[in-house]
Amino acid sequence: MNWPAIRAVMAKDLTAVRRSKAVVLPMLLVPFLLLVVLPLVIGIAARSQEEFDLGRFLDNIPGDLAEPILSLPQQEQLIVLVNGYLLAPLFLIVPLMVSAVLAADAFAGEKERKTLESLLHLPLADRDLFVAKLLTAYVPAVLVSWIGFVCFAIVSNAVAWPVMHRIFIPTRLWVVMIFWVAPAVAALGLAVMVRVSARARTSQEANQLGGAVILPLIFLAVGQATGLLLVDIVVALFIGAILWSIAVVLCVRGAQRFTRDQLATRL
Amino acid sequence: MTRAVIEARGLTRSFATGVALDDLTLEVQPGEVLALLGPNGAGKTTTVRLLNGVLKPDRGEARVLGLDPTTDGDEVRSRTGVLTENAGLDERLTARENLLFAARIRGLGRSRSVARVDELLGRFGMMDRANDQVQGFSTGQRKRLALARALLHDPEVLFLDEPTSGLDPAATRDVVDLIGSLATEHGRTVVVCTHFLGEAGRLAHRMAVLHRGRLQAFGRPDELAAELWDGLEADIDLGAPIDDRTLALVRDLDGVTGASPTALGAHLRVRDREALAVVVATLVAREVPVYGAVPHRPTLEDVYFAIEARFT
Repeated sequence: MNWPAIRAVMAKDLTAVRRSKAVVLPMLLVPFLLLVVLPLVIGIAARSQEEFDLGRFLDNIPGDLAEPILSLPQQEQLIVLVNGYLLAPLFLIVPLMVSAVLAADAFAGEKERKTLESLLHLPLADRDLFVAKLLTAYVPAVLVSWIGFVCFAIVSNAVAWPVMHRIFIPTRLWVVMIFWVAPAVAALGLAVMVRVSARARTSQEANQLGGAVILPLIFLAVGQATGLLLVDIVVALFIGAILWSIAVVLCVRGAQRFTRDQLATRL
Repeated sequence: MTRAVIEARGLTRSFATGVALDDLTLEVQPGEVLALLGPNGAGKTTTVRLLNGVLKPDRGEARVLGLDPTTDGDEVRSRTGVLTENAGLDERLTARENLLFAARIRGLGRSRSVARVDELLGRFGMMDRANDQVQGFSTGQRKRLALARALLHDPEVLFLDEPTSGLDPAATRDVVDLIGSLATEHGRTVVVCTHFLGEAGRLAHRMAVLHRGRLQAFGRPDELAAELWDGLEADIDLGAPIDDRTLALVRDLDGVTGASPTALGAHLRVRDREALAVVVATLVAREVPVYGAVPHRPTLEDVYFAIEARFT
């Protein structure tokens, strides 16, 4: 591996991305809304309501989820339900979206900007170029997720403090989500976009094609993650492992097809 | 004999749309400038991609600097510089950042990269735009910057695809002079793909004409001209149009294969330079004033169009 060259490609791509509002804004706005604004609003709502009756809502969800929430004081129920449980699957959208947007820019974007050919004429091995492009999308996706989660935890705990009088996030399952499932989801989004970008001519086309593939994964992630927080850590680890496996298989297949010849053929 | 810097033997490559390059065989000597000519879709860019190891051939083989681009692609690319037809610069980066990126990939150290980038930005008149993003640049500025990038590591072989398209006349002259000096003074080998036959004629030692992926002609323009035409053409300056009697006299001379009047004399086709001398001597002997006799060597442009005419 030629790590100086890999770092050079990453630095170049991330510098370029930083200057593209169309790429940066959704990457920052969505996490901000999901991980800062939403818990803030929920926390404020919970503080302003003396009694927030979730009884009818909790009657419709499985007992395993309802029981720990119903056992809490009524004023804590809304905060714990939303910030502790329901936002968890939504959180997975962040690594998925960031990795997909950056991967589309890194792979299909080179074709769109007509910079791919000059890149292929540089003395950079196919494998190094592939790894550089993967890391360009993956590292920021995981970092944004982690930083976003730290913000989420601070906002959730701070705004809920007058109600909760304790730090309730992160839970152990949240930790598994953040350090195991979220990176796996980022890898999965990336792997899908690598495959899609090979066929797309523009990053927009890649995002559209990728979106069609990723959308069912989002629903799947929502379903799985909701259940994930109900079950024990072993199941969470297992689901993360499945996501990792799919992502790795897709990435390896993507790497096999990521050759100069294939890329130049599609120029 | 000096070993060729570039050798291609039966190089063939197809895509889904058809054969892009068919059985290309040629060689380029050290310090030589080769003009790769042909209409769009002739296979010029495919040739460069194959020689630089970006594409793999279906059949045939190539050697660049003694290396096989298929198996030693990175080594080949580290010793070649390429200017692609569209500059291929990242518009969101500054001029300096684009060059520094290429320098880092090519393994130039940090301080050497900075010094070399500054040197080239100055040499190509881009220092005042060094820290501007490329998205505001004109075509000519992009081309100059891309050319600077191709020269960053002082490559032994240069592949230049349309190096002067989009440049103004002064910049075109500078680039043509630069390419010429790279070959003649620095011994670099240059392959130029271009539609501008005038500049190709000024630069190229040899020309290769491609048409629909096949090599139609390869050699020095004068050699190819000799294959295409018998004899040579010349203009005789008599100060006035040649009269019918003198024209008939000239036409009857040995070695003259054609003659036609022009505004200032006559245009002749003769067997060789000696035949032209006989024409001049005959006219002078008849007291016809001869102000000049200029034989025309066919230009690269003449040769190219004569070859292309076979297909139209």
